[in-house]
Parts: sequence; C-alpha cells; structure tokens
Amino acid sequence: MESTLLSLAHGFAVAFQPDNLWYAFLGCLVGTLVGVLPGIGPLSGISILLPVTFGLNATQAVIMLAGIYYGSQYGGSTTSILMRIPGEASSVMTCIDGNAMARKGRAGAALCIAAVGSFVAGTFGVIMLTLVAPPLATIALRFGPPEYTALLVLGLIFLAYMSSTSLVRTLLMACIGLLLGMIGIDNMTGHFRYSFDLAELGDGIGIVPVAVGLFGLGEILSTPSHKVRGEVISPKFRELLPNRQEWGESVMPIARGSVLGFIIGIIPGSAHIISSFLSYALEKRVSKHPEEFGKGAVAGVAGPESANNAASTGAFVPMLSLGIPTGPITAVLIGALMIHGVPAGPQLVTEHPDLFWGFVASMYVGNLMLLALNLPLVSVFVTVLRIPYAYLYPLIIMFCIVGVYEVSHSIVDVYIMLIMGVLGYGLRKFNFDPAPLVLGLVIAPLLEQSLRQSLIMSNGNYFIFFSRPIALGLLIVCAVLLALSALAFALKRKDWRAKLAEAEAGEAQG
Amino acid sequence: MDRRHFVAGTAAAAAALAVRPTFAQDAYPSRAITIINPFPPGGAVDVVGRPFAAALEPLVKQPVVVETKAGAAGQVGAQVAANAKPDGYTLLAHLPSMSGFEAVDKLFGRTPKFTRADFIPIARLTEGPMVLVVNDQQPYKDIKELVDDCKKNPDKLIFSSSGLYGALHLPAALFMKAAGIKMRHLPTNGGGPALTAILGNNSQVLVSSIAAASTQMKAGKLRALACFSPKRATSLPNVPTLKELGYDVEFSIWVGLFAPKGTPAAVIAKLGAETKKIATSDQFKTMMTNLGDEVGYLDQAAFAKFWDKDAKQVEAAVQSIGLVQG
Repeated sequence: MESTLLSLAHGFAVAFQPDNLWYAFLGCLVGTLVGVLPGIGPLSGISILLPVTFGLNATQAVIMLAGIYYGSQYGGSTTSILMRIPGEASSVMTCIDGNAMARKGRAGAALCIAAVGSFVAGTFGVIMLTLVAPPLATIALRFGPPEYTALLVLGLIFLAYMSSTSLVRTLLMACIGLLLGMIGIDNMTGHFRYSFDLAELGDGIGIVPVAVGLFGLGEILSTPSHKVRGEVISPKFRELLPNRQEWGESVMPIARGSVLGFIIGIIPGSAHIISSFLSYALEKRVSKHPEEFGKGAVAGVAGPESANNAASTGAFVPMLSLGIPTGPITAVLIGALMIHGVPAGPQLVTEHPDLFWGFVASMYVGNLMLLALNLPLVSVFVTVLRIPYAYLYPLIIMFCIVGVYEVSHSIVDVYIMLIMGVLGYGLRKFNFDPAPLVLGLVIAPLLEQSLRQSLIMSNGNYFIFFSRPIALGLLIVCAVLLALSALAFALKRKDWRAKLAEAEAGEAQG
Repeated sequence: MDRRHFVAGTAAAAAALAVRPTFAQDAYPSRAITIINPFPPGGAVDVVGRPFAAALEPLVKQPVVVETKAGAAGQVGAQVAANAKPDGYTLLAHLPSMSGFEAVDKLFGRTPKFTRADFIPIARLTEGPMVLVVNDQQPYKDIKELVDDCKKNPDKLIFSSSGLYGALHLPAALFMKAAGIKMRHLPTNGGGPALTAILGNNSQVLVSSIAAASTQMKAGKLRALACFSPKRATSLPNVPTLKELGYDVEFSIWVGLFAPKGTPAAVIAKLGAETKKIATSDQFKTMMTNLGDEVGYLDQAAFAKFWDKDAKQVEAAVQSIGLVQG
C-alpha cells in the first residue's frame, strides 16, 4: 500500500512535467471534440492521431492517446442531450432522459450532471485501477464465454425495465432488435445470413447507424407535426446549473453507475457498451419513481453517463496489468506503446515504472482538466438550442449523414440510418420506445457468439453454465429476479408497470 | 469529420487548383493517395499502414490517407479496392487471408466477388513469423507430446483464432492436417480476444504472430512449442521450426500493398520505387521491429511469385477446413 502511494507520487512528478501536462490537455481536448461530433468515435480519433505521436516519447504518446479515449466519453453525452443524437453507442441511453430534460428547459442541468458524473466515475475508476488492478485483472480473465452468456441473459431480463411504455411493446421492440442482430456472417460456420448479397452486411448492422436513425432522425422527422414552441429557451446562467433537488437525485445513481461501470469495463470484450444500458435499467429498478424515466429523470442521465466513463477506465485494467488488448481501442494503445519500443505486458509496471505511474497519474489530472473544460462549455452548447428549428434541423440531418458515413466509410450504413429514421418516426407515432430495439441489437450477436463458444468448449453440454462459479452466480441472480416478478404477479399486487398503465390511460383521456 | 481527410481534401483541392493552368496532365501523383485498410483500426494492417503512409507522404509530396473500410473479415475493403478506378490513387493493404476469399466463396457455392486476378501486387512490406503456443496450465513440453495426446484424445483440446478462415485459423488448420490430429476450434472476433481466450484457459492452444504473444511468453503465461517460419526466429532461438520437426508447414502473417487491375505500369513502378526506399529505411525498420514484425520487403516481381505460392497454401488450408457444421 505504502509503496503504491510512493509510486503514485512519483507518477504525479512525471505527469506534472510541463510537456506531459500539455499532451494530457491536448488529448482531453481532442477527446471532447471527438465525443461531441457524431460519427468520429474514439477509435478512429486515436488511430488518426497515432502517426502524430511518432515524434513523442512513449509516455507522452500514451498519455495523449488515452486522453482522447476517456475524454470522448465526456463529450458523448452532449449531442444526446441537446439533439437526441447518440455520438457513440455508449451514449444511447443518455438520449432518452437527457433530451427529455432539455425539453423541460433543463439542458444545462443535464449537461452539468453528465460532466460531474463522468468526473466522479472517471476518478473512481482511476483510484480502483491504482489499488486493485493486478488481482482484478486475473479474475477478469476467468470471464470466458459461459460467464459472458450468463451476463447477457441478465441483460435480457433487464430489458423489461428499459422502456417507459408497456411490457408487450418493450418485448416486441426487443425481439425486432434481436432479429436485426442476427444479420451478418455466422461466425461459427461462415454462412451469410439475411445479407442479400451485400458484403457490407457481412458484419451485421452497426449500432451507430441504427441508434442515430431511430433516435436522432426519427425525432427530427416527427417534429413538424408537433406544435412548435414559439419562444426560444434562453436560460440564465444560474438556471444552467442543477438545483439542489437535482443534485440530490443524482448522487446515488452516480455512485452506483461508477461501481457497475468499472466492474463491467474490466471484462474483456465489448461489454462496456452494455454498461450504460445496464445502469439505466438498474436505476429504473431501484428508483422510487420509475414512471418518471423517459420523461426527464435525473437518475436516467447520471447513472448511464457515470457507468460509461467508469467502464472506459476499467478497460485499462487488463491492458496495463496483463498487456492484453481486450478491445480495439486498447489494441491501438498497445500498438502505440510497441512502436515506441515499450512492450505492454505483465512486466510493464516493473520495467517501465515511469510510464505506468505517470500514465495513471495523468488520468487523475486529465479528469480534472476535462471537468474544467466541459463545465464552461455547457453554456456554449446550450446556446445551440436557440437556433430556430428551421435552420438547426437540416444541419443536424447533415451531421447525422456525415457522421454515420465516417464510422466505416460505408454508404450502406447511411441507407440503414435513413431507413431507421423512417422506422423511428413510425415508432414514435405509435408510441413505441426504440431503446429496447437498440439493446436487442447490441446483445444478439454477443449472446449468440458466447453461447455457441460455450457449447464448443463443453462439446455441446449445457451443464457448463452451472459448473463455473461466476456463470452460476449470474444465473442465480437472473432466477431471483424472475422469481420476484412472478411473486409480485402471484400476489396480484400492482407493480409500477400497472401503475404506469393507469397513469398512461389517465393521460390519454386528459 | 475525419481531420486528416479534411486536411487531405483541402490540400488536394488547393494543389489541383494551383497546378491546373500549367500542367493539365500532371505526373503521378497529383492529388491525395488513399490506402484502404480493410480491417478495424488497431489491426495488423493499421499498425503497419499508418507509419508507412506517414513515410510515403514526403516522398510523393502528396497526402497519403489510410481509409478504414472494415467488414466481413477484410472482404469489404478488398472488394471496394477491386472496383476502384485503377489510377493509382486507391491502393489496398491486406493480409494472407486475402487469397482465401475466392476459395471460401467457392466452398459455399457463391460467385466470388473478386479474385486474385483483380489485383496487381506492388510490394510486400512486413512478414510476421507465427508461433504455436500453449498456456501455462498445459503439461506439454514439446510438439511431440501435444501431437501424441491429440492422437490419443482427438477433439479434446481447443484452439482459439481470430475468426473462421482467418489469419490465425489457416496456419492451425495446416498444422493439424500435417500432423494428422484434430482439435476443436473456438473462433473469436479478433487477435486480442483469441489471446484473451487462451490466457483464461478457455482455449489451450493458439497459433499467433510472435509479436502478439511475445510479452505473454516472456511472462511465462504462454509456452512456445514450434515456429511456422522457414528458419528459427531470432527472438525465439530455442524454439524449433515445424520443418525441423518433420511437418511440412510454413506460414507467416505478411502485409502487402496492392493496386487494382489496370493501374498503369508507370504508376506501379513509381510506387514500387518509393516503397523500396521506405522499407529499407532504418526508421521504418526500427518501428516494425518494435512492433515485433520483421520488415519482409519483396519487390513487385518477387512478391508476385511469393503471393502465388502463398495463395496455393491458403487455398489448401481453406479446403482442409472445409464447410463447418454448426
């Protein structure tokens, strides 16, 4: 423990060198921009700037590139809150309540809470990284396909809590999402499924085009048929900040989101995407006012935004302590280290303590910088809402198209987004919530792959899910959740969904 | 918007405007060159392609942009390049698995989207030697123990790979065929996940590039049993090659540069000459060595010959895998 603190102090000495401070700032700045602009995600941001770091030393390079990664998680909420366009897959859930808050004139508050939540979660993640990285990373390795399968089953059960409309509608949307997720090459046999001879569909339907289409474009298409607000919201500076009640409502969700996100972030693979979904569902489950979700619940912004930030820090655990690239972003970072002659691996801490601790310390500093960078920007971003819709919306559509094209330079993605935009419009008209569809799309390929990988490992024996402790534990949680729901049903007690249905019925009449 | 793109686009537009009055038919290149990377960022092509593009820029005095067109295990990017205008402004960087798409398509009774004949090889840039590793929970000291155990207990061990018919699956299939053994295949979606699987003992065997596995081998988490290179790798002098052990298998992960069929010979020659300068420069060599790759430069003629031989082997590997029942 003492040696950890000593090393960390040494790390701060490295991080506070003017050069390193400057590159941390640069990384955070670029990361914020990358997060704000839809389409260009952290992955492309980092790889575009990779050649720039060839002239730097390894510590500076990794400080800057990592800054882009965690910085982008701060900015990702901005377009979600203001325009209902998810900049990255991990900010899909922020669209729902963040944008609803903006409609109530609380855009500034939502942005502030997102920034502060990100800061708390990011810092929490770094502290955990400092203290417990090596033992945790070894446990994370035990998270193989069977454990993944069990986690995703839990995710599917949480689906029921995703939506503000009825359970039947939620499940219908989730099924469509799961079916869309089946499109693409079957990883196990190589067969193309539902690809209509388009090689572009081989990798399946991307999350970004679907989310941008359903949320962003669908929203814009349905605006002309709403009563357009005449007055422009121009909040005073004091109103930009969250009020006391909003702070109070966001404390626990930020705390829960930080822990949940960090745990999920450590798991190798693409699990970080589902961290914000799971956090949203969790908040709704524990909330005393679940009916407020979808109508601007503060917890619906605070939880997921904290979770995705903590997850991005958690992803550094296996990378730094084991040297394994668990996802494409950490793969680019490891590549950057290797180009500079620093092999990332279990010996990184002992062989290059300057780099390791300097990097960890730079993340403490970087998170502070991001907070300082993002809070003043809130007032700037909110002024975007003052632009009349007639000018703003065509611009947003252009942004959506350019952004979606940039993800993998595919015109097919743009068509998918446009089709999803029309679908999103229809869904809104008929009061369906698109969030479960997106979650279904995220889960389907992961669940299918890990289920079939598990069965390869066990030679077709389903007992594998019950013989591994972590998987068994997760499945028991699933069973308990289902049993609780069944019990509530059996006792004929009205749960929140029934209450909600009544509330909705009342609203429709009124 | 992609910053490099914007810069590249602006620079190219400015250059075109400035130059037009005097040289209507300018010497190649007169605008930005695009190198298509058919894999997600961070993959083997990306880490080789970006330093290469950065080095090519000052030589051709035009922006060189690496454009990601990922999809279908590298098939989408290759297809885009095959259909691009053959003017030397769209190039492709790809891996050995490129030679397998035609065979895979035939296996499934599909019309191939492109064949090897749609491309002109320009040069081979790097060559990464491959190694067969087991994790530290396995008892095998050498390849013979592994093969003997696999013969006694077929389908007991699991090997992971970056994906079906991918660059890590093909050499494993060639080895199993040569040794006459069977192991179960655990496909994942990338080199990183394949490595994670063996470290977590979700698979026991992996054929990997030495680069990707080197730190884990040093840490004792993975044990190398055999190399796929023609002679022992400099970084692993104690690990025998498969050839030495009596298995006729050679395989490496190379990164090659290609142009679409119909690209003028003068353009190919120009690109070949500039590529040679880069590939033989010390700076590029240091970067590749750091990555664990070896600069395996082959000029156009040598690469074309090598590619023909390599492709036969890849096709044989695809056929030995055959259709997978799932």
